Order: sequence, then structure tokens, then C-alpha cells
Amino acid sequence: MRGEVSRLAELRQERARAFRKEVLPYLRYMGQSGFPSFLSLLFIASAIGYVQLIRHLPADFPIVPVGVIALTPLLAWSPLRTYLFPADIVFIMPREAEMGEYLSKSLRGSFFKTGWLAAAVFMLYMPIYLQGDANIPAWLLAIGLLLVKGGNMAGACQERRMAWSGIRRISRLLRWTLTALAVAAWLTALWWQAAAFMVLCGLLAWLCCSLPKKQRLNWERLIHEETMTRKRYYAFFGMFIDVPVLAPSVSRRPYLDWIIPRIRYAHSQTFVFLYGASLIRSELGGILVRILLLGGLVCYMAADSQNLAGWAAVFAYVLTGLVYGLQLSGLRAVHCHSVWKHVYPLPEEKQIEQLLRVDRAALIAGLLLLWLPAALPLLIGGLFAPPLAALAAAFLYAATRPARLRRKLRVEADED
Amino acid sequence: METILRVSQLTGGYTPRRPVLHGIDFELRAGEMVGLIGLNGAGKSTTIKHILGLMHPHEGDVKVAGVSLQESPQQYRSAFAYVPETPVLFDELTVEEHLRLSAMAYQVPEEQYEQSAASLLEQYQMVPKRKAFASHLSKGMKQKVMIMSALLAAPPLYIIDEPFLGLDPLGIRSLLDQLVEVKRRGAAILMSSHILSTVETYCDRFIVMHQGRIAAQGDLDAIRSAAGMEQRSGSLEDAFYRLVTGGDR
Repeated sequence: MRGEVSRLAELRQERARAFRKEVLPYLRYMGQSGFPSFLSLLFIASAIGYVQLIRHLPADFPIVPVGVIALTPLLAWSPLRTYLFPADIVFIMPREAEMGEYLSKSLRGSFFKTGWLAAAVFMLYMPIYLQGDANIPAWLLAIGLLLVKGGNMAGACQERRMAWSGIRRISRLLRWTLTALAVAAWLTALWWQAAAFMVLCGLLAWLCCSLPKKQRLNWERLIHEETMTRKRYYAFFGMFIDVPVLAPSVSRRPYLDWIIPRIRYAHSQTFVFLYGASLIRSELGGILVRILLLGGLVCYMAADSQNLAGWAAVFAYVLTGLVYGLQLSGLRAVHCHSVWKHVYPLPEEKQIEQLLRVDRAALIAGLLLLWLPAALPLLIGGLFAPPLAALAAAFLYAATRPARLRRKLRVEADED
Repeated sequence: METILRVSQLTGGYTPRRPVLHGIDFELRAGEMVGLIGLNGAGKSTTIKHILGLMHPHEGDVKVAGVSLQESPQQYRSAFAYVPETPVLFDELTVEEHLRLSAMAYQVPEEQYEQSAASLLEQYQMVPKRKAFASHLSKGMKQKVMIMSALLAAPPLYIIDEPFLGLDPLGIRSLLDQLVEVKRRGAAILMSSHILSTVETYCDRFIVMHQGRIAAQGDLDAIRSAAGMEQRSGSLEDAFYRLVTGGDR
């Protein structure tokens, strides 16, 4: 029995090794793509901004809200890499009783990976925290937050066992809310008050977790989570090179879905319709929306502070616009292996033109939406040159991109 | 009757050195349903891929509605609809949107699309699922979407690979009824299936493939005769068994 258990744990290690081996070549392609240079640039720009911020922290800086916003996601986020596959329902599920060591290895791995990330953000936040009231010494705060992290890992494990997805979502929302409250308590109250509040939150979470119907091991949930994680990796590497295609995850996104029925019914719109729906509902659409939200926030903050006479906002706008464009170019890979591309009576050249139309519309919409938070605070503040320069850069990018993308698509079509 | 599909001396496969198909030669005329049968690996799917234009023949050629793929890709592709063995759908489109996409691709007038889509959804008991994403459908439902899309396009040729896999009994009945109807309207149907009793009942002619070659083709009597059986004695299954094993059961 013991031997069987360790064989399962070895299987997990083997799968983890195989995954690392699988993504290694993609990392190399990513390295050659210029993405690391872009990241370095972003890192340098952020580091300059960060150092300036902690040196001259404004008196009215919202220290506690920033701490809660920065720390909560990293403490509450509790992913689990199980390396489980759909076929495991047939081959490993019969040995469910022996899965303890397999899963505890996954749990340990996830705790350390997300823990390091949380620790890094904690270290970055400390210089800001210590300039405020700082009721609790940093080491004690670190212990408190570590306990919050541990509680979240345990809570997330219970959520994965829940039988109904609706209840699981509610439970997760509650866990995130309680985490935010506990973090706020640690940042504002005395240590014993914060500790007592954290224990109360933990008890409430435990009570709520213990009520719903649970499975011993929710295999489908674990496999789904693993598949989603792989998809995210592939979606990321897909920006640089062709990667294995997994069935895409789909989300209806009602705030964008209204666009699809408005695409005109016509033969000339066939692939506009297909790529439009794919863009809006696929993981790619979700990533683009997140880039717009995050980029918009960064642009707004840069514009609002009027750093470098407004040119910092232009810099942030250009960087975010390039990331958005780079990510958007992943659309061309969405149906590249679909049999219908060859079967539908639509010449390849027209398919390319229709894809370019979707790409152009999404690019212009994204660049304009990003421009608003970058430009409006500057225009209101009487600075006109930087927002106009940003607009000119956006037009230049949108005007030159289709030709480049068309060339790339033709080369890819010839290679097929 | 007009020839809709003409496969002439087709030799082909995945690598030039090892052809899978050897001298395949047959035709389909308007208003007939032909059953393509054979064991696993006999070359049915490879033949279908050559007809679809997904593979290049080593020798011979394929013409649909009188043109080859090289002569007129658009005319060639507009002339057939394909239902694959494994449903291949776009996960980010709903059932209704798949029908709309097919209708747009095959230039079905909008009014006709709306009428046909509503009627097909009704016939295949898919009205409650019309807003569901393909990724949320069972295999049989996915197959129904494939079939509805093909029927909506109303081309002169249907290429249907193992259409009954995963379909519920009502779905099978609807499909067969509709195939009879499209045949009556003058379309040609090439149907690959292992359900020999259904193939025997519904098809006008049969092509028996074995090891990449046509072992026999024609009506049931022609197949019996090729199998060394007497006229009007034994089923298609009996004849098929003798053709592919070389002996009696």
C-alpha cells in the first residue's frame, strides 16, 4: 500500500517534470521575442516610480487601502497544480484513497509559489506601511499575514470539494471578502485585536465551508482547474510561437456579447462573425479586457500625477498599447488548425481580409479606450502636446499594423 | 442523371512513398445515396479527405459539380457540405450561431436561413439548446449541430462520415428522413457508416473498400455477385463479410 502511494507521488513529480520540459522550448522562444526587454523596461520604469513614491510619499497617501488592494489578491489566490488529466478519471480515480501524498505535494508547491509572490509584495509594501501609523511591527505583521495565507489555502481546498459550483463561487467571494477585512484589521488595529478578528473570520469561513454538501475528492473540479492553468500557459506562450491547442474556455461576457448579433448577415462577413465571436468570448478576450483595465488604471495614475509634464502617461500608454496589440495578434492562431477554414467556400485571401477587419476594429477600440484615461486628466490640466502625441502614435500603429499582419498571415498560410 | 462527384483513378495517402488509396474510381449522380463501407483502416476517411480537398492526390483527380479544386476552389467548396465522424465545432459559438455561420459561408439568403434554422432546430429537438455553447453540448447534440449545418447549406453533394455515432433514436430517424428528402430534391449523398443494415435500407448503391482499394461497387446484387453469392440471397452484411474475409460466416 505504501509503495502504491509513493508511486502516485512519483507520478506527480514525473508529470511536473514533463510539463517543465514541455514549456522550456517556449521559454526560449519567448526570450528571443524581445518580451524580456519589454519586461525589463517595465521593471525599470516601475522601479523609478516606486523609489520616487517611497521617497516622497504624499501625506494623504491611502496607505491602508493600497495595502489591502495589493496584499488581498496574493493572500486569497490559492491555485493548485495537480497535473491531473481527464483520463485520470479512468486510471487513477480507482486509487482515490491513495491520493493523499499526491495532493499534499501539490498543496505544498502551491503554498510556496504563491507565498513567495505574496512575500515579495509584502516587502515592497513595507516601506510604505512604515511611513504610516504602523501599529504592529513588520515581523509580527508578516506572521499574521502568513496565517491568513494558510487559512486561505485550507479554505480553497474545502471549496474545491464542494459539490455545487454556485455555492463554491459564493464561498470564494466570502473568503476573499474576509481576507480583505482581516488584512485591513492587521494594517489598522493593535496586534491582539487583529489576531482576534482574524480568528473570528476564520471561524466564520470554517462554518460556512462545513455546511455545503462536499465530495471526498472533486475530480472534475481538479481536472478542470489543471486544464485552465495549462490553457493560460499556452495562451501566454501562444503570443510567441505555435503551441498545442486545448479546447478553449468560453465566457459569454454580456457586456460585449451584444456586438455579435450586430455583425451583418452576409457572405463577406462570415469570418468577421467567427473571429468576432472568438475574440469576445475566448480567454483571449478576457486577457485583453484585463490589459485594458490594468493599463487604463496605470495610464490614469500617470496622467493624474502629471509626471514628466505628462510624458510618463504617454510612455505608459504606448507600452500598454503595444502589449494589447501583441496579445491581440494571438487571434490569428485561434482557428489556424480548424478544418472549416479549408472546407468553407471562402477563398483564403478573403478569410485573411476578414480577420484583419476584426483585428483592426479591436485594436482601434482598445487604443481609444486606453487613450481616454491617459489623455483626459492631462487635457483637463491644460497639457495638450502629450495626449495628442499619444493619439498620433496610436494612429500610426493602427495604420501600419494590417500590412505587417497580412504579410505574417500569408507566410503562415504558405507554410501550411 | 447529372454527375455530381467524380473520383477518377485516385491514388493518395499521407506520404508519397506509401499510398493508402490505390486507383479509386467511382461517381455519384444527382438524386442518389451511396454507402461507403469498409473495415477500420480500409481507406474510407482518406478517400473523404481527398474529396474535401484536405489532401493532394498522388495520381488521379476529384471533381465536384464538374470542377476540380484547382480549377475553381470556391465553386468546388460551395458544392458540398461535410459532416465529420467526430463533431468539430467552434466552442465559442452557440448552436444558433453555428447555423448562422454555415448559412453565411454557403450564401444562404437570410430569410431562407431563418426559416430553415427554426425548422431544423425543431426537428432535432434542439430548440431549448439553441443558445448553448458547443462546449456545453453532449456528443450527440454536437453531431446534430453538424448535421443541421450541412442540411442548412443545401448543396448538391453531402459527404457524411459515420453520422449515427452518438445520435439518439429520434435524431437518427430525423436524419434519415431528411436524407431521403434531400435526395428526392436531387442532391447526391456519400455516406460512410458501419451500420450496414441502415446502409442497406437507405442507400441506392454501395462502395466496399478494402485495404485501400474498391473491392466492389454497385447495387446490392452487384455486391452479392462480387462476393460470389447468388442474386437476391443474403444481406449486405453477408456480402461484405465475404468480400473482406474471403469466406462464409
